[in-house]
Amino acid sequence: MTIISSTQSSELGHDHADPACFHCGEPCRDLVESDGKAFCCMGCQSVYHLLNQNQLGKYYSLDAAPGARPGESGRRDRFAYLDDPAVQEQVLDFHDGTHAIVTFRIPTMHCVACIWLLENLYKLEPAVSRSQVNFPRKELLIHFDESMMSLRQLVGFLSGIGYEPKLSLESLEKSRAVHPNRSLYIKLGVAGFCFANIMLLSFPGYFGLTHAQNPGFMRAFTWLSVALSLPVLFYGANDYLAAAIVAVRRRVVTIDLPIAIGIVALYAHSLFEILSESGAGYLDSFTGLIFFLLLGRIFQQKTYDALSFDRDYTSYFPVNVMRMSADGSEQSIPLNRLEVGDRMVVRHHELVPADAVLESEAAEIDYSFVTGESDPALRTAGDLVYAGGRHLGEAGTYRTVNPVSRSHLTQLWNNPIFEKAESRDLASLTNRMSKKFTIVVIATATVATTWWLRTDPAMALRVFASVLIIACPCALALAAPFTLGTAMRLFERRRCFVKNAAVVEALARVDTIVFDKTGTLTADKHAQVEWHGELTDADRGMVKALTRHSTHPLSVRLTDTLGALPAPRATTFNELPGLGLEATVDGHRLRVGSAAWTEAPDDALSPHPTVHVAIDGLWRGCAVLRAALRPGLPELVGQLKQKSRLCLLSGDTDRQATELRDLFGEDVEFRFQQSPQDKLAFVRQLQDEGRRVLMIGDGLNDAGALRQSDVGIAVSDDLSAFSPACDAILAGDQLPMLTRILAFSSTAMRIIVASFVISFLYNVIGIGVAVQGLLEPWIAAVLMPISSITVVSFTVLATRMLGHRHGFVVLKS
Amino acid sequence: MTVVFVLLGASLLLAGAFLIAFIWAVKSGQFEDTYTPSIRLLIEDDDNSQDQVSGKQ
Amino acid sequence: MAVEKFSYDNKIVKYFALATAAWGLVGFTVGLLIATQMILPQMNLGQYLSFGRLRPLHTNAVIFAFVGNGIFMGVYHSLQRLCKARMWSDKLSWFHFWGWQAIIVCAAISLPAGFTTSKEYAELEWPIDILITIVWVAFAVNMFGTIIKRRVRHMYVAIWFYIATVVTVAVLHLVNSVEIPVSLMKSYPVYAGVQDALVQWWYGHNAVAFFLTTPYLGLMYYYLPKAANRPIFSYRLSIVHFWSLIFIYIWAGPHHLLFTSLPDWAQSLGMVFSLMLIAPSWGGMLNGLLTLRGAWDKVRQDPVLKFMVVAITAYGMATFEGPMLSIKSVNALSHYTDWTIAHVHVGALGWNGFLTFGILYWLVPRLWNTSLHSVKMANYHFWIGFLGILFYTIPLYWAGIAQGLMWKQFDPVAGTLAYGNFLETVTKIIPMYAMRAVGGTFFIVGAGMMAWNLFKTMRAGTFVANEDAEAPALIRNAGSGKPGSDPYKHQWLERSPIIFIILTTIAILIGGLVELVPMYLVRTNVPTIPAVKPYTPLELEGRDLYIREGCSNCHSQMIRPFRSEVERYGDYSKAGEYVYDRPFLWGSKRTGPELWRVGTRLPQEKWHYLHMENPLSTSPGSIMPPYPWLLRQDLKTGDIRKKLEVMQKLGVPYTNEEIANADAILKAQADEIVAKLHEAGVPEADPDKEIIALIAYLLRIGTDIKK
Repeated sequence: MTIISSTQSSELGHDHADPACFHCGEPCRDLVESDGKAFCCMGCQSVYHLLNQNQLGKYYSLDAAPGARPGESGRRDRFAYLDDPAVQEQVLDFHDGTHAIVTFRIPTMHCVACIWLLENLYKLEPAVSRSQVNFPRKELLIHFDESMMSLRQLVGFLSGIGYEPKLSLESLEKSRAVHPNRSLYIKLGVAGFCFANIMLLSFPGYFGLTHAQNPGFMRAFTWLSVALSLPVLFYGANDYLAAAIVAVRRRVVTIDLPIAIGIVALYAHSLFEILSESGAGYLDSFTGLIFFLLLGRIFQQKTYDALSFDRDYTSYFPVNVMRMSADGSEQSIPLNRLEVGDRMVVRHHELVPADAVLESEAAEIDYSFVTGESDPALRTAGDLVYAGGRHLGEAGTYRTVNPVSRSHLTQLWNNPIFEKAESRDLASLTNRMSKKFTIVVIATATVATTWWLRTDPAMALRVFASVLIIACPCALALAAPFTLGTAMRLFERRRCFVKNAAVVEALARVDTIVFDKTGTLTADKHAQVEWHGELTDADRGMVKALTRHSTHPLSVRLTDTLGALPAPRATTFNELPGLGLEATVDGHRLRVGSAAWTEAPDDALSPHPTVHVAIDGLWRGCAVLRAALRPGLPELVGQLKQKSRLCLLSGDTDRQATELRDLFGEDVEFRFQQSPQDKLAFVRQLQDEGRRVLMIGDGLNDAGALRQSDVGIAVSDDLSAFSPACDAILAGDQLPMLTRILAFSSTAMRIIVASFVISFLYNVIGIGVAVQGLLEPWIAAVLMPISSITVVSFTVLATRMLGHRHGFVVLKS
Repeated sequence: MTVVFVLLGASLLLAGAFLIAFIWAVKSGQFEDTYTPSIRLLIEDDDNSQDQVSGKQ
Repeated sequence: MAVEKFSYDNKIVKYFALATAAWGLVGFTVGLLIATQMILPQMNLGQYLSFGRLRPLHTNAVIFAFVGNGIFMGVYHSLQRLCKARMWSDKLSWFHFWGWQAIIVCAAISLPAGFTTSKEYAELEWPIDILITIVWVAFAVNMFGTIIKRRVRHMYVAIWFYIATVVTVAVLHLVNSVEIPVSLMKSYPVYAGVQDALVQWWYGHNAVAFFLTTPYLGLMYYYLPKAANRPIFSYRLSIVHFWSLIFIYIWAGPHHLLFTSLPDWAQSLGMVFSLMLIAPSWGGMLNGLLTLRGAWDKVRQDPVLKFMVVAITAYGMATFEGPMLSIKSVNALSHYTDWTIAHVHVGALGWNGFLTFGILYWLVPRLWNTSLHSVKMANYHFWIGFLGILFYTIPLYWAGIAQGLMWKQFDPVAGTLAYGNFLETVTKIIPMYAMRAVGGTFFIVGAGMMAWNLFKTMRAGTFVANEDAEAPALIRNAGSGKPGSDPYKHQWLERSPIIFIILTTIAILIGGLVELVPMYLVRTNVPTIPAVKPYTPLELEGRDLYIREGCSNCHSQMIRPFRSEVERYGDYSKAGEYVYDRPFLWGSKRTGPELWRVGTRLPQEKWHYLHMENPLSTSPGSIMPPYPWLLRQDLKTGDIRKKLEVMQKLGVPYTNEEIANADAILKAQADEIVAKLHEAGVPEADPDKEIIALIAYLLRIGTDIKK
């Protein structure tokens, strides 16, 4: 997460002709002037005034144009559902009638000024008693007085100043978890404390203080060590012991088993020595081992506060819906209360939350979200509209035909794969290795012991202990976490965020790559526009004058491509769903939109989304917008094809087929008009052929496939925005790194294997010596932590070195 | 060298006290957010309000 | 749940700031004076201003007066703002301020007057120790009170460093200052010899760690981001830095006693833990320097940042050098030489000095709501101060290494010491001492410029004693926001700073109780050597004179087991020889020669008599101060019985009749010595004078084992 520095946000203004808004830095499409400052809308201006009146002007000095546009499409009763006690119970952390605590996720917070303002809310709103920001998580915790201000008013107030809380269906259904690592950190702290002090107490032994020489000391020291070691055994190590017990019950061998055996053997032997006063035990190596293991565990679980890897439709769908009752009055209800037959009102740019029949005469539906199809489709009264479609144009009424959970799109989540828990860990390399390892070790130990029992029973115990201790595969347990953990951190440098270490391992084994076209290979923001007909720059300026007032996807894209053109003022502006825009500019009557709307000649029609222009009733030309491919794709495809089989899926029509053919070549399988379920099925089919599939998608429509595949990577141009359930999130501009990411994953695995070999040799030699009874167990105990440290430093250094060679360097952000 | 026990006792008690403090801190979520505090330090109300603050992470 | 209005107490900060600047100048000046005394012995101006008495004054003034007030200035300013709360009690604040200044004044009077325990950085006698304890507790209560009533949930990392300082220093002070009074300004420690040494350096090292390091790290984590106006490089790292430092700092002490009669394992322990310290220390340093990543242009213009950068770099150097000096083989060369002095001054002048200057330059203009009188002058201060550090340390590194090598050098042919006469190795490095004095002068000139600059700034600005502030009240626990979770049930956690205080006080109490243990275990202490007997009454008095004159500041009493030392000073020291030494007088620096076994090396009463009157008469070129007053002043024997009783209580085998006849025994031995002096041709020798007692002691040191 980066705090946008003032320079960056001011640059934001430069590439537009319009002055940047003093409040939000957006280009001022229709200028509002006030105290000699430019504002892009009344909203921004009013927030500016509000802050100034409350002596919060510092906001603007902390960062340039720090604001965010106050909530658009804001109908006052939008948050009415928050008055519902049931909803409040779910949203509030705590409330007792007066004092209430709530935690919001606020995506628009992005800079120092945001933190400052959000923590000074009490100066703006007396009902708020204190507010605290967690910037990494973009969370705002608010204490407020329920009796003075309702939750609904609070949310309204926040969105009023441009910090609208993200309230999705998810926030009603899932409960926020406490930081997972807490107990792990405490364990580490305890283990560290005991380790340090036990070291202190056992060093004298190594430095020549002998039992004979000073029995009082040695006894005191060793017993203190025993006391200190107990919390480590019963608290610090309990995860491993518990896991081992589970493993035994389940009759499976996991890495925890040999570790647990080693731990127990080490501890038991130490106690035996101490009790029998035959030595000081090796409690220092014991605690040290646990300390290192815990360290590895923490290192492995890197969490990205701002990101979430397991999102389903609930995080996309609105939390509420406007239901229209019999008497025509509207009321806002939580989405999960919507029933079949309910009539609902959907506003411009809102999602249709459930399969429903359109009742108003016409509406445009943008399905890009569901199918990836980029240009909106016109629907008329009586048509069935699928859940997930985005309603464009003025508010329309719908009648629900399927409950939310059974709708066309959302039933994807009823698919069993979303039930089953991740089963990767068991399959992981570490565990497969440790299975063999354990068997070998146990076998050796028993054989050696039985042998010694016959010759020299006194030696037997020592041999048994030494074998188990030295074979304790801490190296194995450490190699994977530290290597993969380092790899994760290196990936992060290239804005590739991996869910957990196991994913890196899975990436290494991928042999088939399935691409989703829209949003993955193509990106709307790279749209190219071709102009046809005879339109002068002045004419285009006039076009811009219209389009910049419309939020229709095509208008927005067109406006962006028109960038710097000066645009005159438009009057009598008017937008008709399915047809286009109309307005008067410099006395000319302008129409921008569909062919029908502008009476375009047939030869001007194109398979690509097209915006036609008619001036004073005459068709003058059109702009053909085609989604362009992301840069760097040819190279990427070339490299990927060498190693793995490629496939291409797409939700929308095959209009770019030829273009893609040139890119991918003949041998690559293409599939168009794929429904989310089709995609899922396709991936599964590949897997049935025994292939390890990497799915690369972006939309919610890929969610099933992403989940089904061995690794699902979601490509996202805006990391703070939601991305569907996946194993990794990759920044759009980093897509070309994919080859390196794959390559480096296998490198990482090789490093792990290498360190296995190291520790294996070490163990073989160690065991070899141990079984002959030559090895003093205390030497074994000292050697063990040394091997751990060797392995850790080897893996981390090797991974970093190679990672740098693979180009995983810090990006200038 | 019995005095070693004195030092040992004092040091252990000291370290123990800090261990307890550490546990309290983790439990009460003191270390949950390891970024915002460093920013908060710079924007707490005092006279450097004129300066431009901008950090990266 | 309304907004709370309150005000920050700036007045107390102002007073501590003034005290810091003022005492700083005093401490530096005393330093310069004793530096010149090492070139020009005639600068030892009478008994109250002789090197032996002023050196502890210098160290105490710099550590407890300058740095101490600096710490309090920073804590009282930053803590209030970090907690968004006024200090818990103004009364305590002022009690703390005046109490601390009183302690300093007591030190400034008692040390030159010769009242000292001779334990480095703990020289002050028992009544002052008690005063210190009271004032420190007041500070602790005030600080924890503020932390509890804070209005910000999160405790910024600086606060953790402050807590560590307050708690640890309290424990260290108590453990090390357990002493039994003989009279109002004289006491004997409960620990003897080796044990005393171990406790002293456990304290000594941790005093450096928790008085000169942790609080200043806290200040760094607050003022560096403030001055640079950018967040600390990695806040996470700063937290790791704190906890790792806390858990391993405490055991590094024994590295001050390498190659002494301290058991080997204890020495190695100190060495290992000292080496471990590099990691956390450098973590902190890098965190500091990397904060300025991309802001070096700021550093170029802003003197505040310049001072801080040098300070942090100095911290890095000192914390790297420290562990290196703890490696036995390095220590064998560096110990007892000026290398150590150079090392500590990198820390004191660089880290503490420059960070304090940086903070003052940043803070004063803000407290007086104006801008610095002259940035130009501040920049000059920076450069002259920086030059001062270089001129101070480089020559001393040179001197230290050179002298260390000379001590060890043998004549390959004759197989004898190349520099048999210790004095040669001193005269060779006097030019370095001269340069060091120049460096010191630069540093003081800089500090003077600062004083003037700050004074003008204060005159120009307007000071606000109580700065208004407002913040929302901290309502219970807002941390773990689990849905439906009842914040009240976490309340005890909110209170747990109290729990924390209780625990630490318990810790301190138990720590104090454990103190008594050695008094009973005293006999089983160390392998005792039958030949080693307690000091006679006269020798004991002589020993106390040796302590009063601060001889141990320049003379060690610990012969390390090296050929060069055995050759030069006699058989190496055994732990058993020190069982009756209260306090131990091993010393830490050899400006003059080792004195253990001096009684066997120089058994002539006359020589010592003349040498003490005027060192040049026996050792031409010596830089030792003359002690003529010892020949004039009568030995006060009023307390001798009391002294013997205390020693007896501590386990020294004085019989009751010995104690009863102490005066007679003392008189007899004095006459004996005077008789020897008379026949040696010193007719003016008088049995009642102090010199006689001192000679008696000098002739006795480390000779028992030979009998």
